[in-house]
Amino acid sequence: MSAILELENVHAGYGPTSVLHGVSLSVPEGGVVSLLGANGAGKTTTLRAITGGVRWSGDIRFAGRSLRRTSTEEIVRGGIAHVPEGRGICTELTVDENLRLGSHLRRDGAEVRKDYDRVFEYFPVLKERRRLSASTLSGGEQQMLALARALLMRPRLMLLDEPSLGLAPIVVRSIFEIVRSINLTSKVAVLLVEQNARIALDMSSTAYVLEVGRVAVQGAGAELQGNESVRRSYLGY
Amino acid sequence: MQEFLQLVVSGIATGGIFASLALALVLIYNAMGLVNFAQGEMAMLATFVAYSLVNRGMSFWIAFPVTLVLAFGGGIVIQRVVIKPAERAPVLTLVIITLGLATLVNGLAGFIWGYVPRSFPSPFSPDSVDLAGVFISYRDLGVIAVSGLVLLCVYLLLQHTTVGLTLRAAAHHPEASRLLGVQVSWMLALGWGLASAVGAVSGMMVAPILLLEPNMMQTIIIYAFAAAVLGGIESPLGAVVGGLIVGVTVNLAGSYIPGVGGDLQLAVGLGIIVAVLILRPNGLFGRAAVRRV
Repeated sequence: MSAILELENVHAGYGPTSVLHGVSLSVPEGGVVSLLGANGAGKTTTLRAITGGVRWSGDIRFAGRSLRRTSTEEIVRGGIAHVPEGRGICTELTVDENLRLGSHLRRDGAEVRKDYDRVFEYFPVLKERRRLSASTLSGGEQQMLALARALLMRPRLMLLDEPSLGLAPIVVRSIFEIVRSINLTSKVAVLLVEQNARIALDMSSTAYVLEVGRVAVQGAGAELQGNESVRRSYLGY
Repeated sequence: MQEFLQLVVSGIATGGIFASLALALVLIYNAMGLVNFAQGEMAMLATFVAYSLVNRGMSFWIAFPVTLVLAFGGGIVIQRVVIKPAERAPVLTLVIITLGLATLVNGLAGFIWGYVPRSFPSPFSPDSVDLAGVFISYRDLGVIAVSGLVLLCVYLLLQHTTVGLTLRAAAHHPEASRLLGVQVSWMLALGWGLASAVGAVSGMMVAPILLLEPNMMQTIIIYAFAAAVLGGIESPLGAVVGGLIVGVTVNLAGSYIPGVGGDLQLAVGLGIIVAVLILRPNGLFGRAAVRRV
């Protein structure tokens, strides 16, 4: 399987503080890869580097093309949907307006309408609340809105930054089920950053564990789950 | 009673002028948290452009849209050339830049057109219409109609078009918008263009009343600040409502409070700013700044 996203020896940081010290990873076309690790290991920074939110060196390739010197807007228009830490919901706008921001660049009207139907099938609550301000949504609903909006961009790759953060376990489970179903039915590749290693490994073909800006362990999801020393030292369960 | 109603109507007309300029201030404040002190001078420059066009024989109703287009382009150029290089600088730096810009534009207009006040033709008839004993001038009605139409257009653009949606998103959530493919930097330029065009409307509406000269907008901008602050500085609707309230208040105060007419009227505008900032800093439509910790 060819890779849709490849990071090669990526160094990145904020001003004089460097956070990533040579991260290499790859996400196969249509695959689910999780990026695990403790707070401050560089997971969010890795995602931000991919969409140009932080300066980096090394190489990042998306669909075979280097993302060097490419602006965030161009990268996103090229087919990467990034649901950032904190979900990036525009709370000044309504639910509907947030969704329209996801589809505003698309010109394939008929397909867009189909995607709206699909999104409302996944998240019926968003249809009920279309006219309401996004600020009235609960945390779980905001996460759903962020996913729905990402889906409406019809991306080839989704970057999800801690979708489980601050949500009740039952909400987390349903959100991950939907992510998996999106991945299976639309063949969207997913790079998933999670603190909740167990649920992330369950659905990932490959996982990388970051430790202070370096890949400490990598392997198949099931393999990491089965390896007790890895589990104890890095995944905390 | 009739005099009162007449004062209210002409207050609404001046209020429409304040509202246009206040809306221009709010558009830029929303986009970058910056009060554009050059807004009035930009409007004055646009009005001089309209004056030159009319002087060359163009009809006012052609010169008006042409000026709006030129002001829109000028606003974009100003954002690209003067503001963008300092985009990441602290707000205070940007404030100083707009103050410098105001001085520069004022001097430029004085250099080109001089400081002798010129009469600017009013496109409306000087007659009045008698509505059940209340005499309302066509000039007031015309100003109300034009300002109302412009404000309606801005509302439709912001609330009911995709460009307006991305403009609002970029203003409030630049980082999240970028991740959705919104060209945030160009949206800022568009905001400046829009503000410049809306401000130009206030200049062209006030010039027939005040006489055109480079310092024409310096009192108007104070009223516009009062209107924007009263409306809550970040609410476009608030700017319009604030403009109308300030217009009517100033007009009534000038006639009914002894000694306030003429020069002291400006003190009413300043009084409103101070009173709002002390009593209700979020204005009528602003939201209290809530920060989650």
